[in-house]
Amino acid sequence: MSDTLIFSPKPDRPAPAESVGLIGWLRGNLFKDVPNALMTILGAYIAFVVLSWVLNWAIFNAVWEAESRRECLDMVGRSGACWPGVGVWFENMIYGLYPKDKVWRINLGFAVLIAWMIPLWMPKVQSKVAIGLSAVLIYPFLASYFFLGGDKSILWTALISLSLTVFVWVWATALSETFIGKSVGEVVVDKAGARNADEQRQRLIKRGVALVVFLVAVLLVNEWALEEVRTRVWGGLFLTLVISGIGITFSLPAGILLALGRRSDMPVISMLCTAFIELFRSVPLITILFMFNTMLPLFMPQGVEVDQLLRAIVAVCLFAAAYMAEVIRGGLQAIPKGQFEAAASLGLGYWQTTTQIVLPQALKIMIPTIVGNFIGLFKDTTLVSIIGLFDLMNMARAVGEDTTWLGLFIEPFFAVTMIYFVFCFAMSSYSMRLERKLATGRDR
Amino acid sequence: MSAEKRTKMIEVVGLNKWFGQFHVLKDIDLVVRDGEKIVICGPSGSGKSTLIRCINQLEHHQEGDILVGGVPVEKKGGNVREIRAQVGMVFQSFNLFPHITVLENCTLTPQLGLQMPKAEAEEIAMKHLTRVGIDDQALKYPLQLSGGQQQRVAIARALTMQPKIMLFDEPTSALDPEMIKEVLDVMVELAEEGMTMICVTHEMGFARQVADEVIFMDQGEIVEAGPPESFFANPRFDRSQQFLAHVM
Repeated sequence: MSDTLIFSPKPDRPAPAESVGLIGWLRGNLFKDVPNALMTILGAYIAFVVLSWVLNWAIFNAVWEAESRRECLDMVGRSGACWPGVGVWFENMIYGLYPKDKVWRINLGFAVLIAWMIPLWMPKVQSKVAIGLSAVLIYPFLASYFFLGGDKSILWTALISLSLTVFVWVWATALSETFIGKSVGEVVVDKAGARNADEQRQRLIKRGVALVVFLVAVLLVNEWALEEVRTRVWGGLFLTLVISGIGITFSLPAGILLALGRRSDMPVISMLCTAFIELFRSVPLITILFMFNTMLPLFMPQGVEVDQLLRAIVAVCLFAAAYMAEVIRGGLQAIPKGQFEAAASLGLGYWQTTTQIVLPQALKIMIPTIVGNFIGLFKDTTLVSIIGLFDLMNMARAVGEDTTWLGLFIEPFFAVTMIYFVFCFAMSSYSMRLERKLATGRDR
Repeated sequence: MSAEKRTKMIEVVGLNKWFGQFHVLKDIDLVVRDGEKIVICGPSGSGKSTLIRCINQLEHHQEGDILVGGVPVEKKGGNVREIRAQVGMVFQSFNLFPHITVLENCTLTPQLGLQMPKAEAEEIAMKHLTRVGIDDQALKYPLQLSGGQQQRVAIARALTMQPKIMLFDEPTSALDPEMIKEVLDVMVELAEEGMTMICVTHEMGFARQVADEVIFMDQGEIVEAGPPESFFANPRFDRSQQFLAHVM
């Protein structure tokens, strides 16, 4: 054995200095060789020219105070932007023709939505799925009352109260799980001194507390009357957010169901889903919007009038669901057969396999495409302007048709571009963050 | 022999299966008794994987009967899920669930399938992970482990369902030589504890060490079957001799 050689690996050496750090990065990426350096300089020059032109027009040469477009043109001609027109119309671009004294209802509605979702980002909260679902399924009742107002039937009162109750539950859960580390139900049971009581009694206590909250909510809602605001005056960014928000939240679950249906072993379900998807995918959105706008009323019984906004929303939802279905199906195809077999061999059923094994992986793979679709949908809602709804885009056009600001198109469109950019970029950044957060193992 | 008195865990009678027009399994008869270890070998395409995949109905057969623990497997649906819960399976490509941790891979099915509370499921999962030597990696994701470690997790995952029978479908074929041994060691240990096992494998050393019976398949038929000593020493058919000459 004395002949055996001992293998000892060489120690690691640091990487060469020119391949790491800022200098290394510059050398490697911007100034690798002469053509590369020339391209870098040319690119920087083009960026400088474009940026300085835009900045000069939008900021340095721009007019910030004027009474009309004429005044702007007299001051700087076309070399600078005329922002006062956008300023005057800004509120309309955000809220449409929604009565000014009731705009707080829109603000409150969106504030509640944000408040509803904050717990989703609180690290210690456990019940995130339930909170997320409640935001999608329950919040809309409250929001539609904020936005629409009007008389409340008994059912409507109950739904709004339910919505309020759930909102209370969301925050009670968030707080108790963050600060006490227990679910809100356990805290309630503890406070009632029934920690050791049997399960049935504990459930009774929890339900009782929920019922009390609900009844208080009913009393509040009953006292509370908001004047009706017809959807005809809804508009601007608000309308865009309503249509795209509903479209996005509807399209994901509907798309999942359609995709699963299309892959189903049951021929009738598979055929129906395929037919629906192919039909809606092969028709332009604008055609679907027109169809729903003009033809749907013909099929309705006499006297039943479907709100124009609702027609547009239904059209957008169905269209988006068909597209989403194909995205999700792409994700489902990417899951190896072995995953299904492993789940089956462990005795899991169809829905368990789908919800626990397949969908989490498929949705994760498809995050970039799903969010891409969301962004596309958000921008596609500009098409509703064609059937006469005053979304953000149409509102911007209205500025240049105002006699005081006649012909002022570039500035409002520039502003709209910025608004769209902010929303779309936020969605895209969030999706990238989500991808990094969900990364497991080999995939980055 | 006492072996004859042990209960039949698996009984396959007159099994026939076709893929389209291709006759993959021809008149297969097989009995596996409690605690027996069967090794199935044969060239690729001989139907050995298909045979064990019929037992837990990952493949559906057209003719013949399969009884697991005395209960006939109903073709298409019926009691398939109950049967699968009793039969653990380990695949060539591991098939761990990559989106959840190693521990969650082992607790998911007991929680869903057996309605086990989380704490109990974790305790059992950790017990099995410890026995395959992966307990210190429990919170990692499967793709962060080596192939051999992943396969050992797959074995632990199958064991958490407390199966009565374990099926191994070429468990070491996708592994580097250095990792094959760590997986085989776990399988040998499992065999010594008395688990009923059917292994499709080309590891003849393993077959010699643990198998009660070696089955040689070719072209969808069981060519010959017998205890490893006699099978390896004097295979009766020319086909088995040729095969052994290649793999030994």
